Amino acid sequence: MRFRASRLTGVAFSLIAVSTLIWLVRSGRAPQGSPGPAEAQRGGQLVVSVRSEPRSFNRIAVGNQSTELLSLLTQARLVRVNKSTFELEPWLAERWDSSPDGLTHTLHLRKGIQWSDGVPFTSADVAFTLKAAMDPKAGSVLTSVLVAGGKPITVATPTPDTVTLTFAAPSGQGLRMLDQATILPRHKLEAIYLKGEFANAWGAATPPADMVGLGPFVLKEYTPGQRLVFDRNPRYWRKAPNGDGLPYLDRVVVEIVPDQNAELLRLQSGATDLTQDALRPDDYVPVKRLEQQRTLTMEEIGVSTDADSLWFCLKPEARKKDPRWAFVQRREFRQALSHAVDREEFAQTVFLGEAVPVWGPITPGNKDWFSPNVPRYPYDEAKARELLKSIGLEDRNGNGVVEDAKGTEARFTLVTQKGLTWYERGTAVVREAAAKIGIALDVAPLEFGQMVQRLRACDYDAIYMRVLVTDTDPAGNLDYWVSSGEGHFWNIASKTPATEWEARIDALMEEQAGTIDMDKRRAIFNQVQNIMAENAPAIFFAAPRLYAAHSTRVRGVVPSVTRPHLMWNVDMLSVSAPR
Amino acid sequence: MRAFLVRRLAFALVLVACASSAAFLLTRAAPGDLTTQLGAFPQPEEVAATRARFGLDRPVVEQWLAWGWRALRFDLGESFLYNRPVARVLAPAALNTAILAVVALFAATTAGLALGVVSGSRSGVAAALIRVVSAVCVSLPPLVTSLVFVFLAARTGWLPAGGMSSAGAGDLSWSAWLADVAWHVPLPALALALPIAATFERLQSQAMAQVVSEPFVQAARARGVPGAQLIWRHAWPVSLRPVCAVLGVAIGALLSGSFVVEYVTTWPGLGRLMYEALRARDIYLVAGCAAMGSAFLACGTLAGDLLLAAVDPRVRDEAGT
Repeated sequence: MRFRASRLTGVAFSLIAVSTLIWLVRSGRAPQGSPGPAEAQRGGQLVVSVRSEPRSFNRIAVGNQSTELLSLLTQARLVRVNKSTFELEPWLAERWDSSPDGLTHTLHLRKGIQWSDGVPFTSADVAFTLKAAMDPKAGSVLTSVLVAGGKPITVATPTPDTVTLTFAAPSGQGLRMLDQATILPRHKLEAIYLKGEFANAWGAATPPADMVGLGPFVLKEYTPGQRLVFDRNPRYWRKAPNGDGLPYLDRVVVEIVPDQNAELLRLQSGATDLTQDALRPDDYVPVKRLEQQRTLTMEEIGVSTDADSLWFCLKPEARKKDPRWAFVQRREFRQALSHAVDREEFAQTVFLGEAVPVWGPITPGNKDWFSPNVPRYPYDEAKARELLKSIGLEDRNGNGVVEDAKGTEARFTLVTQKGLTWYERGTAVVREAAAKIGIALDVAPLEFGQMVQRLRACDYDAIYMRVLVTDTDPAGNLDYWVSSGEGHFWNIASKTPATEWEARIDALMEEQAGTIDMDKRRAIFNQVQNIMAENAPAIFFAAPRLYAAHSTRVRGVVPSVTRPHLMWNVDMLSVSAPR
Repeated sequence: MRAFLVRRLAFALVLVACASSAAFLLTRAAPGDLTTQLGAFPQPEEVAATRARFGLDRPVVEQWLAWGWRALRFDLGESFLYNRPVARVLAPAALNTAILAVVALFAATTAGLALGVVSGSRSGVAAALIRVVSAVCVSLPPLVTSLVFVFLAARTGWLPAGGMSSAGAGDLSWSAWLADVAWHVPLPALALALPIAATFERLQSQAMAQVVSEPFVQAARARGVPGAQLIWRHAWPVSLRPVCAVLGVAIGALLSGSFVVEYVTTWPGLGRLMYEALRARDIYLVAGCAAMGSAFLACGTLAGDLLLAAVDPRVRDEAGT
């Protein structure tokens, strides 16, 4: 009797508990309220979340996403690339004059600008910043950016509000290269620079009062592991088109939320107003539902400028003793693999339909540089097998895996980053497609640090990941394209081009980077894209369509395909209701 | 007793040294190092400078000895992730974990013991319900409970969906800040406390069921001692021994920080710090977290042992000799 009572009680309790849970989940919270007026309102607080701690507030010494966001909040540049139009805009420099040969640029600084501590901003600050940014001993990450013709640019300051930049050779990027160089206060940092400690300046432990800037906000407090609080900079120089002083917001709070699931839940609950990263494909449907309930606004950002890709290590020094090198180094092998993947199915399976097929690293999201005419590899298994056979790869023993005449199987370990569901789906699709043509891929998900170590040492057969480019202008990503570049991912930092086609790309990129005429630059770069697609050092599959979500109270959002997607124009953001 | 305390202190020191050294060496041996946090394609100069700054260009034994020598003077090195001395990063994280641990322990102990007494000394629907709930809660992993609570909090708005304080906490007065933290602490504390409370309930219930059938309790009942007094004054103190034996371990485990609960609920404690340090291969921070965690574990087990001695005179006598 006691046992039966206990069992019945347990069943009854379980039913009640499950019913309550379902009711709670389905009832949810009331919507956050009506969106309010469309025009910007002054005041209020914006709460955003980031996934990692900032290591530094010094954008010259540290180039990660957290530091980039913080520099947008507190610092300013001489000129700015508008992340929506990708046009170059005056910023601290109100105008500039360039010589016809593109070698000399004179920038005229806005008058009357003050640092957040009241000290006047002058050309001496610009000279100091660029000197530190071009000094490798200062730990700058921009030394390879601020160059023209292979030489650092020279800086002169004829007057307190004029800066003259001289290039050793014409630069296709021109003044766009200054978009990454946030201007730093000479009166605060020059002494530190002269002591040789610039790389560690403005680290995470720096008192907020020491970090002065020309940006829309100033750092008020930083609680490690929790949040950073930024207050309105009362001396911010910029005004809205209607003459209102900016920024609109009184405060921006940056919450540190390492887990992306928790980040999304906090967005849904109203604890935060927006996140930095685009939504994951799995989150599109639930967030769309919340948008229909008027709880969140979902912004369609556009096609990503980066695509998931697979590549083999093609560094001859590391691979030539590998018997598989004989066929991996052949373009036909990689072309065959490209033919084997149905990119429409890939987009459907990996990104739930929200992606566009691509065949090269430049995606339709990069409107200025995308070429629709790059060679494509339509889905064709027969063609793929034919290509493999043409280089001697056939399934001679009937085990489903092709091998060469010496019996070396086309079997590889495919490394990818653990914990990202779309990577897991992507590798599954590619593995299945490869198996159909006799290439065996054994997927090995690794933790990020482990994967990067293998990548840098070329200690891998193949890798599947998304390589992020820092600049939509290819001249701003020379490290990626040229053989000697640290970002030349299939053969990192090669002393000399490993192949004839890479030598051609090197020459074309140098020519493209040194040409001012945009049409000519595009024509040259189209050739580069064609060579890249023909030789397929990496196989690109699909570029996802990006979406981001924010609270309905946030106004002035202009999404950008580059990061940060929603906060690049933070001084123009406002909120419709107080928090 | 003095000899007992000295032995335990010596043990704690050895534990801290071994745990932190093992963490240091294993992190150093793991694939990748903290320079992988510089991105997939950093400049070689940046990698070299970072490796030199954190001693990664030296042999591992040399680096360990240098770190150990500094650690003896309470200099735990510098954190790569936070760009500041490890001690300055550890202290607030340890305090935050201690706050969470105390609340979770209080909740788990009061609920677990009280419900265990009820279910162990009675029969009927109430006791059966308690047993069922405990069985469920004991089997639930903290990851699941954390995610469920965060999800429910986000959906209902009854509690904050994570964090230790609100976005505007910096402007609050001291008392308002305490109230704000008190509003944030229940979610992670509940996620931590549930399985521990269930464990305590099971132990207490079984011990109580055993004790109530002892002759001395029967004799007290025969003498006319009222029910509540019989349970709480006569039976309960005797039934505490198995609970106290586990309490020390629970205290130590809670104080060391649960990285799962802290990570999911975004509580800025030691567990989450250790997890982030491990992911980033922030070697000195990992060693510092291991040292702090093991120190807390030693303190927790000592507290448990002292409690056991207070509850059971036989243990006191043993410790005294």
